[in-house]
Amino acid sequence: MATTFWPSIAAALRNTPHTTRAPMVWDPASLLMSRFGFGIEARTRADLAHYGLDDWWRNQVAFGRGAGAGYAGHAGVAAQGPLLKKNPAEVRAWLKANGNEYGWEAMDQLTRVTLGLQAWSHGQVYEAVVDFFANHLNVANHSDGVWTTRHTMDRDVIRKYALGSYASMLLASARNPAMLQYLSLASSSKKAINENYGRELLELHTVGIGAGYTEADVQNSARILTGRSLDADFNYLYKPERHWVGPIKVMGFSHPNDTAEGGEAAGEAYLRYLAYHPATAQRLAYKMCVHFVSDNPSPTLVAELARIYLRTGSQIVPMLAAILRSTEFWASRGAKVRRPAENLIATVRALGVGPGDLTKSLQSLHWMSSAVGQVPLDWSAPNGYPAVASAWRSSGSLLNLWGYHRGLAQNWYDGFAELDPLTLYGAVKPRTSGEAIIALCGRLTGSRFPAAHLQALQTFLGEPAGTPIADSRLRWYLPHLIPLILDAPQHALR
Amino acid sequence: MTDPQLSTAERLARQAERVSADLAAQDASWQGGWTRRSFLAGAGMVGVAALGSQLVTTRAAYAASGLSNGNTLICIFMRGAADGLRILVPASSDTGLDYLTTVRANLVPASANLLPLPGAPGWALNSALNPLLPFWNTGELAFVPAVSVEGVTRSHFQAQQCLERGSDTATTGWLDRALQQLGPGTTFRAVTQGSALPAALTGDQTKLVMSSLKNFSFPGWDGVAPQSETALRTLYRGLPGPLGQDVPTTLAALATAATARAKAGAQNGAVYPGGNFSTALADLATLLRAEVGMQVATVDVGGWDTHTDEANQLDRNLTSAAKALAAFLTDLGPARRSRVTVVVMTEFGRRVQMNASGGTDHGHGSLMWLLGGGLAGASVYGKWNQLSAGSLDSGDVPALNNAYDVLGEVAQKRLGVGQLGTLFPGRTFAPLGLAKAV
Repeated sequence: MATTFWPSIAAALRNTPHTTRAPMVWDPASLLMSRFGFGIEARTRADLAHYGLDDWWRNQVAFGRGAGAGYAGHAGVAAQGPLLKKNPAEVRAWLKANGNEYGWEAMDQLTRVTLGLQAWSHGQVYEAVVDFFANHLNVANHSDGVWTTRHTMDRDVIRKYALGSYASMLLASARNPAMLQYLSLASSSKKAINENYGRELLELHTVGIGAGYTEADVQNSARILTGRSLDADFNYLYKPERHWVGPIKVMGFSHPNDTAEGGEAAGEAYLRYLAYHPATAQRLAYKMCVHFVSDNPSPTLVAELARIYLRTGSQIVPMLAAILRSTEFWASRGAKVRRPAENLIATVRALGVGPGDLTKSLQSLHWMSSAVGQVPLDWSAPNGYPAVASAWRSSGSLLNLWGYHRGLAQNWYDGFAELDPLTLYGAVKPRTSGEAIIALCGRLTGSRFPAAHLQALQTFLGEPAGTPIADSRLRWYLPHLIPLILDAPQHALR
Repeated sequence: MTDPQLSTAERLARQAERVSADLAAQDASWQGGWTRRSFLAGAGMVGVAALGSQLVTTRAAYAASGLSNGNTLICIFMRGAADGLRILVPASSDTGLDYLTTVRANLVPASANLLPLPGAPGWALNSALNPLLPFWNTGELAFVPAVSVEGVTRSHFQAQQCLERGSDTATTGWLDRALQQLGPGTTFRAVTQGSALPAALTGDQTKLVMSSLKNFSFPGWDGVAPQSETALRTLYRGLPGPLGQDVPTTLAALATAATARAKAGAQNGAVYPGGNFSTALADLATLLRAEVGMQVATVDVGGWDTHTDEANQLDRNLTSAAKALAAFLTDLGPARRSRVTVVVMTEFGRRVQMNASGGTDHGHGSLMWLLGGGLAGASVYGKWNQLSAGSLDSGDVPALNNAYDVLGEVAQKRLGVGQLGTLFPGRTFAPLGLAKAV
């Protein structure tokens, strides 16, 4: 099917044939919230019905830019991250006063608050976009030397510009203490160039490896950014005496770079050149389409996003809106596999399990995401967690996730509000075993299961579909049936 | 599924059910094109062998033709580019010590921290590798320095992909294509320890990725586990994409994993240090002891991108890696070890000159390690040029030896892979003579 674009999101949806990958069925709300959010839950379904797609989108963007910006999407979760408000020196002082000057508390709070907002923030679009850019400009949390600074990358760079312009985000990242530490820019100087940041800037943050830069370009990329350093309190500080002076050429960019004092401005000019480079537009557009649409997006969709990026001066929201105004997006249900942590958070949301004790529930989500290899922000290499399904194949993760489905449905874990499984039937109480299965599948996955799947679940219960609910073995087996539905491909795919 | 309370007959009946479910799932996937999958879940188990008559004859015969030669190749990838020059150190003027001390004096270990290697004049080991020295003395440790492949750049990600895919254009991994040539095996024939599949194993062949053997069981109340597994086989039957393969593979592996777990616990006085890498190797030793038919295994270990403070960072990593590898080899014991070959690789070497942060930037020629059985002897294999300003490639160790030649020789001589053309497309194979044929 050729991709077409429409003036509004609702029009794109109206003009999309009801296409999905089996066994998924047509359910635009589930699709939307599995890509621009961490999974559908009852409240969002109601919001979408109330506002309509285009107003819902505008509300979500406005919330992420305003009342829900930073960590404000969920007040209780935000309160779990008091250190995230502090500057590096204040964090260090707090750590020292609390017994371990080199402790991981600030990094841990960032992990836990991120998980909590993904699970329970009203600003789901904002969280989804933050997740995308946090991986695009990855600085591994829990890596060496960022124990007092890592949250500033999240707070002052990613969250600040996630719904703004990419050029601003990139320029801020090139002055961020955590980024400077992580990619060794803080220790690069004219006497001894460290190429780490200069290379990843080209390869990962902007134009990409196919853009035709040379090893000499990499060296110049590192040279022009020397002098970007940190003060004793781990705040950004430009130190002219460390700046390499002399003419610079990288790809089509050249600069006399003839004074140490002017080195910072020369670096900004270079960063802007990269930010607005067509190869950066193309690369970011492609990554966005893979993340939000499918592992193999059409060249038409990618080209449209790249065009918007260049036309709007790297504005992120119009690119995202173009995805939603495309028929390709709405026809893509089932095209992506949920990565392990996405499956975990979507399970919490599908079951409607709220945070009982936030401290404990966030700790639970932390170890749970760790056991499946996807703690948010913790990917150790600078390229971010892989977006495509083929990178995540793992029997061990499948078994862990099936365990989480059981544990969350059966109240095994600390900190979550107790789930009464009977509430999952919704307003209309089922009369038979078969009706109960259909209701649960719809509520948990937004899908009507095909006959063979319904029969498999019926066989699991060991009774015919027509069994009256009063006589049904669901009395005992409901807490075991619920996780089995979440194990199904209708929840594993998105 | 392996409840000791069950009678033998019941256990066999359940296994029969599982095998036929497995076959049904495979039938569904074969409709979309032939993929050589394993039919015999846990072929090493007595129970399944006894079921021979219940298997469709042609399939059993086909499976039998692909039985492995009993050897295992374990590929360990040190992610981040480990600095070979501080692991296997050129320690004489002939190999380039003089040049090293001029450009990276602080990164050349003091002579007290260098272990001479009998039979390899001019080379010495970083003393962090001391736990591995006994295996040098028994001919079970070797190295290839100055190793790389055509097309590798100084990008971590590009270099890893290039090395693991076996060419800079292949879309599947070289180990996946090796499995294809070897034909079908057990569910456990290709095991990745970790939470995700490495590029070397991407492709159509079935493989098992497990984070720990200990937790490899169906979760929840045992009273509904068999019914849940049966339902899951139906829910995923015929599903296109990776999950349609991975779910049946996972379910088929559960019983074998339970049997293997009974063999857990280090043998021969081996003591594993802590850490994920160590746990992964201990699990692999357990699987090898349980004879589950493992032909290929991969383990990743990170933390080698030493742009800063390399002397401390690298030696700390090497110490724990060497202890873990020594424990693994000891655990296997000499007889089993003779059937297991370990290759340790990294994406590229590091710059010869130290940078301003006491670290090194991205370089070129790297170091491969070989451990275990089937080596032609303890030696430093391949070519080496004395290090000097003139002998370097843009400031880096040049690529004098080809990584595909090393991997290809091991695959051919140890695993019994016949033709290497599909493993490393376009490569004219030139073995270094470092392994013995089976």
